[in-house]
Amino acid sequence: MANNVSQAASTLSAAPTGEPNKLLSVRGVTKSFGTNAVLKQIDLDLNGGEVLALIGGNGAGKSTLMKIIMGIYQPDDGKIYVNGCLTHLTKASVALASGIYMVPQEPMLFPNMTIEENITMGFQERKQQLRARLKGVIDEIGWKFDLNRKASTLSIAEQTLVEIIRGLLRNAKILILDEPTSALTFDEVESFFRIVQELRQKGIGIIYITHRLSEVFDIATHVSIMRDGIITLHGPVSDFNHEMLVQGLLPPGSVQKAAQLTEGAAIDYANTEPVFELQHVSGHGFNDISLKVYPGEILGVAGVVGAGRTELVSTIFGRDKILQGKVLLDGKDITGYSTKKVLQAGINYVPEDRHNHGLFKISNITANTTSALLEDRRLGKLFLKPKVEQTITQEFVDSFRIKIAGQEQLAGSLSGGNQQKVVIGRSLSTKPKLVILDEPTRGIDAAARRDVYGIIRGLRETGVAILIISSDMEEIIELADRAVTVSQGSINAEFWKKDITQDNLTASSFGLHMEGEAHEQ
Amino acid sequence: MRMLKSILKVRWLSSLAFLAVMFIITGLINPDFFTYSNIIECFNSSVVFTLLAVGVAFVIMTGEIDVSIGSTMGLAAAIAGMLAQRGESWALMIVYSIIIGLLIGLVNGYGVAVLGVPSLIFTLGTTGIVRGLVYVFSGGKTTENFAGSFTNFGSQTLFGQITIYYTIVLVIVIITHLLLTQTRSGKYFIAVGDNVGGATLIGIPVTATKIVAYVLCGIFAAISGVAFASKYGQVNIVAGAGYEMSAIAACVLGGISLSGGLGNIAGAAIGAVIMSTISRLLVFIGLSSDFDNTIKGVMLITIVVVDALMQRRSAEAARRERLVARASGSAR
Repeated sequence: MANNVSQAASTLSAAPTGEPNKLLSVRGVTKSFGTNAVLKQIDLDLNGGEVLALIGGNGAGKSTLMKIIMGIYQPDDGKIYVNGCLTHLTKASVALASGIYMVPQEPMLFPNMTIEENITMGFQERKQQLRARLKGVIDEIGWKFDLNRKASTLSIAEQTLVEIIRGLLRNAKILILDEPTSALTFDEVESFFRIVQELRQKGIGIIYITHRLSEVFDIATHVSIMRDGIITLHGPVSDFNHEMLVQGLLPPGSVQKAAQLTEGAAIDYANTEPVFELQHVSGHGFNDISLKVYPGEILGVAGVVGAGRTELVSTIFGRDKILQGKVLLDGKDITGYSTKKVLQAGINYVPEDRHNHGLFKISNITANTTSALLEDRRLGKLFLKPKVEQTITQEFVDSFRIKIAGQEQLAGSLSGGNQQKVVIGRSLSTKPKLVILDEPTRGIDAAARRDVYGIIRGLRETGVAILIISSDMEEIIELADRAVTVSQGSINAEFWKKDITQDNLTASSFGLHMEGEAHEQ
Repeated sequence: MRMLKSILKVRWLSSLAFLAVMFIITGLINPDFFTYSNIIECFNSSVVFTLLAVGVAFVIMTGEIDVSIGSTMGLAAAIAGMLAQRGESWALMIVYSIIIGLLIGLVNGYGVAVLGVPSLIFTLGTTGIVRGLVYVFSGGKTTENFAGSFTNFGSQTLFGQITIYYTIVLVIVIITHLLLTQTRSGKYFIAVGDNVGGATLIGIPVTATKIVAYVLCGIFAAISGVAFASKYGQVNIVAGAGYEMSAIAACVLGGISLSGGLGNIAGAAIGAVIMSTISRLLVFIGLSSDFDNTIKGVMLITIVVVDALMQRRSAEAARRERLVARASGSAR
């Protein structure tokens, strides 16, 4: 494994400029947003007839790199060669003219137009000529389409195919497929793979972004793994196996990290009733989820973005319909409760995106902290009692060490970590039995993260049950007493404290768990 | 039910049907309405609204809005009126109004497409500025006493009682309709309103398209000002105030979705006839034309609400389909 990495690195460093025989060469591309370096000196090569699988966790920089290749973002530094020629991809139309076409993860068709209008949109050539070419492309691939159907009536799979035809009609030689199978059903994936094979035989170079490691071996010829803005591993697929790919996804020194574990909660699982239980719950975006959370326990829910975790918790919280199964809180059936009733029953949810769903940015800290208590009689019957509001707020400010200039400060002007503390404070003010934290430390600095971890552990001591959703494996390792991983809408693995390691979590988040393997065969 | 649905699918056809139903109901209540000249007059009198609606249709199709068209019309009308007092030529008035419309459109387009200010707020601001200019130019007085040739022109009829004005407008409507539906760049407007992200990905110049939409909108509004001055023979300082609501309602009635990406110019023109006809029909029915604005507002809101509900339902259905497909991969 170490050998492969160094080999890949040496071939890359031996080619400081683009080689004419390469379809696409990316050299030393760097990109930062503010102080956040998203891409650090990326080198990437693609030949005709190759399928390059690009994998990496969330925030690894894959989409940013693709947007740079598509001309949507401009790199801070670095060069891109197409067919060996240095190309300045200043906007999407330049990339298209250079033969690059991207099929985005969520197809971006024009829903109110017909298929034909969608495909022929933006072309400069004559209509008859274009139609003849379109017919040629469709015949060649052998797909049957009623070109007069509206795009809004197409399934996701069909929309992806329309996007691909659009790319082929543009004579695209470089096709970027961003998680094309994430919204496809099993059968659709199979026929989709056949199409990718056909395209490859035509000499088209394909960059294939995916979260499913098994797909790499099904479809790709080469593989590159990205982590934290660098490419950690690159080479022909035949040089690698599952374990090596998982290793490439892990940060260096993760083994030592796992060793310095904190103690798990001492829960007598056999003699304790769970506070919260899901029994075979299905909804939009997830299937047959069963889990239990015990008082004084932190349950970690790991997985990649789009696995269905956020859909699960927002459905439990009354934001969407539960299609099947039961939700129990303290043994009481709360299936199908509205958000308000779920809150009253004793569940609170700290959402993933605190800017859009969590914080009242232009209200002060007092109002933010006590806003969940507006129905509470302690605050007064008709007119609110400012003294009580301030006392409650001060309790949280003190115990969470929230750094504020005063309670009158606007929540939007706080740092990310302090904002998150305010949101957590608010959800605790209702004294819930179960707290659901969705990505609790995303985008906050290390010190504030430590404080938030402290708050969460303190909460566990008081006997509250805690469910943490996180794409940050280290966070789950650090906090969780027990963990499950969600992959493609179902729980595919459960780990006890001693088994919660980067290896296990990563492998099963990317759909590679032992049980999953057995089912597939 | 299925037939009704397929008619409703061609949105501008259903607005044409709606116009016919309005005529028939009015005729049933008051048979005096059913004369050739009454019905033709409904079209003849819609010149100003049609120009306004066709212009703002471009902006609405891109998913934005322009509420400054009423005051743009007022400014162009006041300036056309001043030129008419001196007996200046038509050509000069048209040139002036094109310049006015172009400038206002550029400002609006820059603010919305480049600076990214919400279009309702930005064009509301321009409304204030432009209306202020009307006061400045006309000294706070009504502009009147135009040369006779200016005011007579509009009432001359060509064939079958159709005025020269409506003929010209009809030609403009047909040409813009064809340009928008049959040319490459014409479809850009719809594409930008339908899916901005998708438009960017296939290399459509989104910012430029929006600016062009605002410029066209401004020019159409300014030219409608010339027609207004000629038609009424005098220009009040508040001329055109509130016309933006009628023009936007005309577009919506004509099947143009306020969220963008749906509709065409023919629909906007039919919607404009409906809007300008309502007060006339109210008189025939025997109701006071005081109800005019209220009815227009009710129609606008009804259609917008129905449209929004339909859009939300289909968006939600699409989201669920995606989520279910995503989760079903593992169910097998």
